Amino acid sequence: MKSFFLAVDIFLCLMVFLCLYRVVFGPTLGDRIVATGAIGTKTLTILVIIGFLYGRVEMFLDISLAYALLNFVGTLAAARYFEAKREF
Amino acid sequence: MLRQKYEDVIAQTVVRIMVPFVQLYALYVLAHGHYSPGGGFQGGVILAAALVSIFLVFGYEAALDRLSLKTSVRLCSIGVLVYAGIGFICLLLGGNFLDYGRLAPVLHVAPPKARSLGILGIETGVALTVMAAMYSIIMDVVNSETVSDKADTDDEDKTGEMCSGGE
Repeated sequence: MKSFFLAVDIFLCLMVFLCLYRVVFGPTLGDRIVATGAIGTKTLTILVIIGFLYGRVEMFLDISLAYALLNFVGTLAAARYFEAKREF
Repeated sequence: MLRQKYEDVIAQTVVRIMVPFVQLYALYVLAHGHYSPGGGFQGGVILAAALVSIFLVFGYEAALDRLSLKTSVRLCSIGVLVYAGIGFICLLLGGNFLDYGRLAPVLHVAPPKARSLGILGIETGVALTVMAAMYSIIMDVVNSETVSDKADTDDEDKTGEMCSGGE
């Protein structure tokens, strides 16, 4: 089971690099923001899986919850930015 | 005052439901800092994130209704006062600065328990300061960049008022 979790973790890390490509070379601002949000979600999953690997899920669950909250605020800021853009 | 400029039903409802839970989670991070990652700074940041999400969704004025800049500066100072005050109480009781074991006779508990409570007390002070400082930094940045540009005449006197209140 541990090697399965490790494989999933490494796979998700590789997927983060795909999203990072979209963040760096994304043609529009929307691509960059959505890709940043996707990286945040993947980081959350990676953190929880690392918690399973180390056998300390409750500790890593706290970190990933805080990360999810801050990610949510970031998404709100991006959404409000687009709303303001449409208005002006 | 709540429904102002950026009226979005989904975002407003989600934030209205989530903010109490976010603040509860911040208190958990603050109080559970002994056993899990977290503590005063992290709890304060999460508290500030709740206030900032109120600002992002309900607007600048609604966030100031919840916590004005004047109050946030006062909270900032109160947090430092709590921290230094607990330290100096330990000093007055004959120990070193932040020597919580000396608080035991005042709190009527055993010294190890007094150390735990003392650390919780200073962490609360740190959380208050961090929350107020984060919030006022963000509100000041937004105030100077967007709000004053948007409405020229209306916000002139308000800006002056806030600045004088901030000092």
